[in-house]
Amino acid sequence: MKTIQQRNHVKIIGQGEQTILLAHGFGCDQSMWQYIAPALAEQYRVVLFDYVGAGDSDITAYHSEKYSSAHGYKQDILDIIDELELKDIHFVGHSVSSMIGMLAAIERPECFKKFVMIGPSPCYINEPGYTGGFEASDIADLLTMMEMNFTGWANYLAPVVTDPAKDPQLTKSLEQSFVSVNPQIAREFAEMTFMSDHRESLVSMTVPTLIIQCSDDSIVPIEVGEYLHAHLPASTLHIMQVKGHYPHMSNPTETKKLIEEFIAN
Amino acid sequence: MEERLKEAPCGFISIDQSGCINEVNTRFLTWMGYQEEEMVGKHMETLLTKVNRMFFHTYFFPTIQLHNSVEEFYINLTNAAGESIPVLLNARRYVHEGVPVIDCLFIQMKQRIDYELELRSLQKTTEKAYLDREEAFAQLEKVYVEIARKQGEILEMNNELLKLSNTDKLTNISNRRFFQKELERHIDLYTEEGIVFSLLMVDIDHFKNVNDTYGHLAGDSVLVQLAGLLTQEIGLANRVARLGGEEFVIILPGTNAEESLQLAVKLNKAVENANWEIIHRLTVSIGASTFSESDTEVTILNCVDQALYRAKGNGRNCSIHYHEIR
Repeated sequence: MKTIQQRNHVKIIGQGEQTILLAHGFGCDQSMWQYIAPALAEQYRVVLFDYVGAGDSDITAYHSEKYSSAHGYKQDILDIIDELELKDIHFVGHSVSSMIGMLAAIERPECFKKFVMIGPSPCYINEPGYTGGFEASDIADLLTMMEMNFTGWANYLAPVVTDPAKDPQLTKSLEQSFVSVNPQIAREFAEMTFMSDHRESLVSMTVPTLIIQCSDDSIVPIEVGEYLHAHLPASTLHIMQVKGHYPHMSNPTETKKLIEEFIAN
Repeated sequence: MEERLKEAPCGFISIDQSGCINEVNTRFLTWMGYQEEEMVGKHMETLLTKVNRMFFHTYFFPTIQLHNSVEEFYINLTNAAGESIPVLLNARRYVHEGVPVIDCLFIQMKQRIDYELELRSLQKTTEKAYLDREEAFAQLEKVYVEIARKQGEILEMNNELLKLSNTDKLTNISNRRFFQKELERHIDLYTEEGIVFSLLMVDIDHFKNVNDTYGHLAGDSVLVQLAGLLTQEIGLANRVARLGGEEFVIILPGTNAEESLQLAVKLNKAVENANWEIIHRLTVSIGASTFSESDTEVTILNCVDQALYRAKGNGRNCSIHYHEIR
């Protein structure tokens, strides 16, 4: 039986008294934090992990049914909290992890102290009176695009999609190649991310939250940041004057500073 | 840029860390339908539709940042005319004179992608056909079960109808229809296997009086009681039938003239001795006849009728066999 730390490839760096839990977003793994994690570790104890199905996690723990909803991934976070007996966590979630982490914080508010969301969105699809940035047809096109990138054209000749848990080799090695991503898990992660709607949960979030939104983000329009700020009971909205969806990678120094200031106050 | 790279058989652009285009080769400009000055300084995003932009940011950007290399990234570019150009993109990130640079090489894959899309749609069609077939099969199985169930119901209803069509409604014993069939069957048995049989025709004496005196309800209850009594005396189901009115007929397989008459006399006594609640006393007259070679379905009934007529003439409450009057 593997421990949760092995299952989620948990890494702990730094010796600080306070704990920061960094949760990676869609299509990535914990290595996305490499530009800010070492700097944060100078002052804090930093916990990094990969969601089941991502990075160096134990892929045999992946079950489509469990991980077809954000609550499956939420359980990964709660499992890590329990095994490491984490308290008063400062949680930093990128993209979809903001919502996954929020679900965990709603369930166990006593474990969280401060909460940072980078480029979050409670719902990616436009609806009357709500701008998510995408039409349902856009999401369908995106899924097709992913499928064509990840499976490779020869795979269309293979009639049946196998259970990813049975072929862990698929996800190993060749990290720079997109073919390395397990296509089924990637697709299911994308469906979970882009088709879920967490707007009704926002009101239950009691942990003080910083929303970091880039002024020109191709994935999350500015309206979404404003919507979140209006609906999250204890939130601060900070708009960074940068382009993109990954300020912790493109502007690590500024992002780190924002996180530290928010935690300290 | 070197002349050879400008005309190289692939598209080439070099972008900065934020995605803005620094350099572009002639081949790429031709594909996209732009002048060099239109493209340099622009963000790579401007060549992408919303979905492709999203995909670019979700996968290309983090991968190139983390691993400095992307291979075989499939994406669609949009040219100045608004046409979609499917390409495979390989990219490399490196630091040039202290500044991170990302070089991108594009290979068009229009034909490939057409094939791929066709394969993909064929695969989807096949998968759907497969699912449809399974669903249709499950549906068929359901229908089969339903048919089997209905068939059972129909058989049961048929049996019920058959029984109803052969039963006398008032007395709940066999009716004339059933008797006719039984008679035919026994004639066949006689012809083919020589099994002898006799008929008894039972008629209530002065039944009109019963109806006139006690009413039709009382008359009906007498008929019901008599039907039960005759059946009980004969001891076999389906042998006693009501022909109509106050007339009953009994088929006696394997019974000769003498035996049939004995049985008839026994029935006279049983009726006479029975306890008749409302009317207190009831008798019947019985004609008997035994089937012989010269007989037919019509003649045997005629004979038994004549015998009954004679029994009535002899003062009722008695039995006469056709032999006796022939």
